[in-house]
Amino acid sequence: MTAATPLLAQRRLRPTRRPGAGAGGRGQLVGGLALLAALLLAWQLLPPALGTPTYVVPVLSDVLAALVDPAALPRYLEHGAATMTEVLLGLGIGVVLGLGLALALAQLPRVYAVVFPYVVAIESIPKVAVAPLFVIWFGFGLPSKVVVVVLLAFFPVLVNAIHGLRSVDRDQLDLFRVNGATPWQIRVRLMLPAALPQIFSGLELGVANAMIGAIVAEFVGAQKGLGVLILQAQGRMETPAVFALLIILSALGIALNVLVRTLRRVVISWEPRPGR
Amino acid sequence: MTAAGTAPEGTAPLVDLRGLGKVYPTRTGDVTALTGVDLQIADGEFVAVVGPSGCGKTTLLKILAGLEQHTAGHGTLHGTDLGRPSGDAGMVFQKATLLPWLDVLANVLLPVTLDHRATAADREKALGLLRMVGLEDFATKRPGELSGGMQQRVAICRALVHDPSLLLMDEPFGALDAMTRDALNVEVNRVWRETHKTAVLITHSIPEAVFLAERVVVMSPRPGRVVDEVAIPFGTVRTPDLMGTPEFGALSARIRRHFEVKAA
Ligand SMILES: Nc1ncnc2c1ncn2[C@@H]1O[C@H](COP(=O)(O)OP(=O)(O)OP(=O)(O)O)[C@@H](O)[C@H]1O
Ligand SMILES: [Mg+2]
Repeated sequence: MTAATPLLAQRRLRPTRRPGAGAGGRGQLVGGLALLAALLLAWQLLPPALGTPTYVVPVLSDVLAALVDPAALPRYLEHGAATMTEVLLGLGIGVVLGLGLALALAQLPRVYAVVFPYVVAIESIPKVAVAPLFVIWFGFGLPSKVVVVVLLAFFPVLVNAIHGLRSVDRDQLDLFRVNGATPWQIRVRLMLPAALPQIFSGLELGVANAMIGAIVAEFVGAQKGLGVLILQAQGRMETPAVFALLIILSALGIALNVLVRTLRRVVISWEPRPGR
Repeated sequence: MTAAGTAPEGTAPLVDLRGLGKVYPTRTGDVTALTGVDLQIADGEFVAVVGPSGCGKTTLLKILAGLEQHTAGHGTLHGTDLGRPSGDAGMVFQKATLLPWLDVLANVLLPVTLDHRATAADREKALGLLRMVGLEDFATKRPGELSGGMQQRVAICRALVHDPSLLLMDEPFGALDAMTRDALNVEVNRVWRETHKTAVLITHSIPEAVFLAERVVVMSPRPGRVVDEVAIPFGTVRTPDLMGTPEFGALSARIRRHFEVKAA
């Protein structure tokens, strides 16, 4: 359904939604919906027409049936809640740690010089590869998943926040210093607000990473979560259920992303709208 | 039209620089930005500083602001050694340098709120300054909603809100178009008259220096020294028609000659 449209449509539509540009915006909206309808129709009609077996690519109606199956709903809810618990918990911890460390490092240039190469080194290893290790260390339950999510969400937040905090405008800094600002005032009233756009960019990446981290960690070893359901459905060759779960995951990911973007628009109210 | 050696006799000057020098240590060796700068500025005086690019004008201003330390000679503001921000200077930068997350009024009040919670009197003061530059209706707007010239006027208000004795301006209108610039110069003249501030203006524009200042300080190429001081005897009220007078042209020419000699 709305899988890919909100993100694309937002980018495309907002700049044209200026006063007087309503007709063009509506035209694009209609075009977008028409394309979506065509794609969905193709999904429904093409696999049988090409003789594709249903366990390879199920038709749309089968997927939708699996998605709204009343018997499956409690499972979706229970396991979806488990996955989102991992994501939100890990995201929360990762963001707090990332922001905290960024603030500390931005204030301590010497420590930064020593620590940052390590940050870059760790950043460049594919962190999901350590998920099996975390299952050994922290077990099959919630903690090992949360740790993986923390690890994945932490780095983009840290790196973006540090860059934002360190790229403060020289004149703005002079302005604060000439007026006798304390280091604390410079941190809280200048560096932090000036870095907010970058911090939110890191947050957006962190959210996407957190979803990946949770699912991969569930694949590696878990009793609960949408990742587990996907593996189970795969084991029974229930491809429509796999697709239904993918749709649920996409919807959750998009919901989180929209949440962060909305938060950004509220918090950074002075920022020009995208499509500048 | 006479050369003014030092500030008026009698009371001690507000700014007193003697043999002031500044060396920046850099990776590729030391850079001498200023050397042997002697300059006195009286309380309430308007001084403009002109000089070739890179001669150390900004460095001089930052030393006056306490943002950079001089490495030779001696400098005092109000009889107190320079060296760190005194809180008694207001600074206007080449770009307005407003904080986009604060509204206009909060931007103007920044020097106050960095010191204490703004009182009703502070807010009145800030609004009064905004009224003086014709922006009282924009107090609740964000800087992003203002034109470049309006932003720079807000920056001037901000530099004056805490009532500093010294107003420091580093090419404040360099980024603006000529018409806006002329209008703002008239504005600066009025602000200076009404607030009785001591003002130091750095500019690349000789007409701007002559139009605004009571004394124009000419600096040499790097390492910067004071090579001439030109008194501008036009009184305190300056109007645009001044720029068409022969006296204005003669003073401008005298200052310009310093730069032409170098080019020849
Ligand atoms: N922080 C610094 N570190 C090293 N060298 C510096 C620094 N700031 C300025 N300089 C050097 O000192 C000299 C004077 O610089 P300054 O910015 O004071 O010149 P200026 O007269 O303001 O030039 P402009 O008219 O182009 O603004 C230049 O050669 C510059 O490269
Ligand atoms: Mg300069």
